[in-house]
Amino acid sequence: MCQSQMGCPDQEYKIGLSSTLGPNVCLNGFSMRFCLLLISIAAFGQATKFEPPRLADGHPDLQGVWRNSSIVAAFNVEGQKAYDNEPGGASVIVDPPDGKLPYLAAALQKAEDNHVHRERDPTGHCHMHGVPRSLVPPFPTEIVEDNNYMVLLSETEHSIRIIPLDGRSHLRNYHAWAGDSRGHWEGDTLVVDVTEFNGKTWLDQSGNFVDENEHVVERFTMTAPDTIVYEARVEDPTVYSRPWTLRVSLRASAKRHRVDRIRLYRGRA
Amino acid sequence: MTRFIFPAPQIRNVKPAFVLVLLLTAGSGRGWPQSAGADLRGIWMAENKADANLERAHVIVDPPDGKIPYQPEAAAQQKQNFENRATADPEKQCFQPGVPRAAYLPSPFQIFQNDRGVYIVYQDAHSYRIIYLNGSPHNEGLGYAMGDSRGHWEGNTLVADVISFSDSTWLNAAGDYHSDELHVVERYTRVNPDTLMYEATIEDPKVFTRPWKIRMPLRLQKGIQILEDECEEGENGRRHHVTLFKETR
Repeated sequence: MCQSQMGCPDQEYKIGLSSTLGPNVCLNGFSMRFCLLLISIAAFGQATKFEPPRLADGHPDLQGVWRNSSIVAAFNVEGQKAYDNEPGGASVIVDPPDGKLPYLAAALQKAEDNHVHRERDPTGHCHMHGVPRSLVPPFPTEIVEDNNYMVLLSETEHSIRIIPLDGRSHLRNYHAWAGDSRGHWEGDTLVVDVTEFNGKTWLDQSGNFVDENEHVVERFTMTAPDTIVYEARVEDPTVYSRPWTLRVSLRASAKRHRVDRIRLYRGRA
Repeated sequence: MTRFIFPAPQIRNVKPAFVLVLLLTAGSGRGWPQSAGADLRGIWMAENKADANLERAHVIVDPPDGKIPYQPEAAAQQKQNFENRATADPEKQCFQPGVPRAAYLPSPFQIFQNDRGVYIVYQDAHSYRIIYLNGSPHNEGLGYAMGDSRGHWEGNTLVADVISFSDSTWLNAAGDYHSDELHVVERYTRVNPDTLMYEATIEDPKVFTRPWKIRMPLRLQKGIQILEDECEEGENGRRHHVTLFKETR
């Protein structure tokens, strides 16, 4: 996780959670003085809990244009050292604590093969990013929300996700790039259950991947007027030995960035 | 055509308790519900043959003869498109369908609304449009497949002005086409709970001799959801692949 001060883009969120993270962070070798500072800020943070804007039905209003504030995860969710033209940075995987994807042996081989053949990246062939990848690269996504739906409209590949919030059950025998999403509110956190994937999507440009047994539980929590913490717990028993969780901070675009449609051309101008 | 005199649908169709909640919370929340009184939300589809052939589907209400007013050279191009339509139709190669064609494809679309805009998500090629309602100016001169849409309300009618098109979409599967100077003014009116009246005035000085107009009802689609329509590439080129599902596991 966040071991160096260089790799801490989500610092204020960690502060917000430091009642749970604090002891681990302290044990991981942070100076005692810094830990005390963290814990005191956490206590202050809890006293003045952030109050999100709300829709008429009382649920948090997450609407607006958002994008991930960090770049490295687009290249590799496990983090990487800077090389060629690619930036370096920390892993966005917060569980397991070592920030590594818990691949099964055969799947690790496939990921390494993917890495050699990065031209196979489905997004390079204009396919949708899938979940959770659609929110990982720093491309804008507009959230539209009402009492029945949350909708994610991505600029890149004009990907769409329509998430019903009315408690209906998942489609069956449906195998989609973006899966099939069902959402509900847990307090002020929107929780989205996503299944029915087609198993063709990658997690980043490095070749990390999932298959058709992927099951994602996403959590969207607004922690500041310009910040949504996005967490995705991914379970895929034919690729990973255990569930794992990634976390990134989505930032509101200061200029209310317009979501345009990026359209890729292949073979036809 | 019968003209419906009809109050705003959300006023007529909600429970009194809900109206009370709305009144109590008015101004305290953002987004939904709409202040302008028109609620266009829902899944809609044209149940006609307009996409196959606009003229034969009898949806052209102006000019009165129901014909697309092509300039002579453009008429020749249209004829060529028609002959090559099996392979030349951009929609069949998975490109976004364009405007107004997206409204009358034989596939559904879903409308969402907030106070900043009306968002139309089409099943076809998972394309979408944002019709901005904030009075902002057009993004001009950019070749968007789906154009650049700016809207306003006239009573309960959403009026969308659409420009900045590419010339890479068609108006239907019969080879009717436009240039990058296409200008469309759309009017969406929910004339009853299950019907969205759709009107589009189509103007293009490079292709047509005069503006012309189509009008058709779109029907509310109940009990369905928008499915994923992603492109499949194979020996026969690019084609749509709608992810269908079966209820049996």
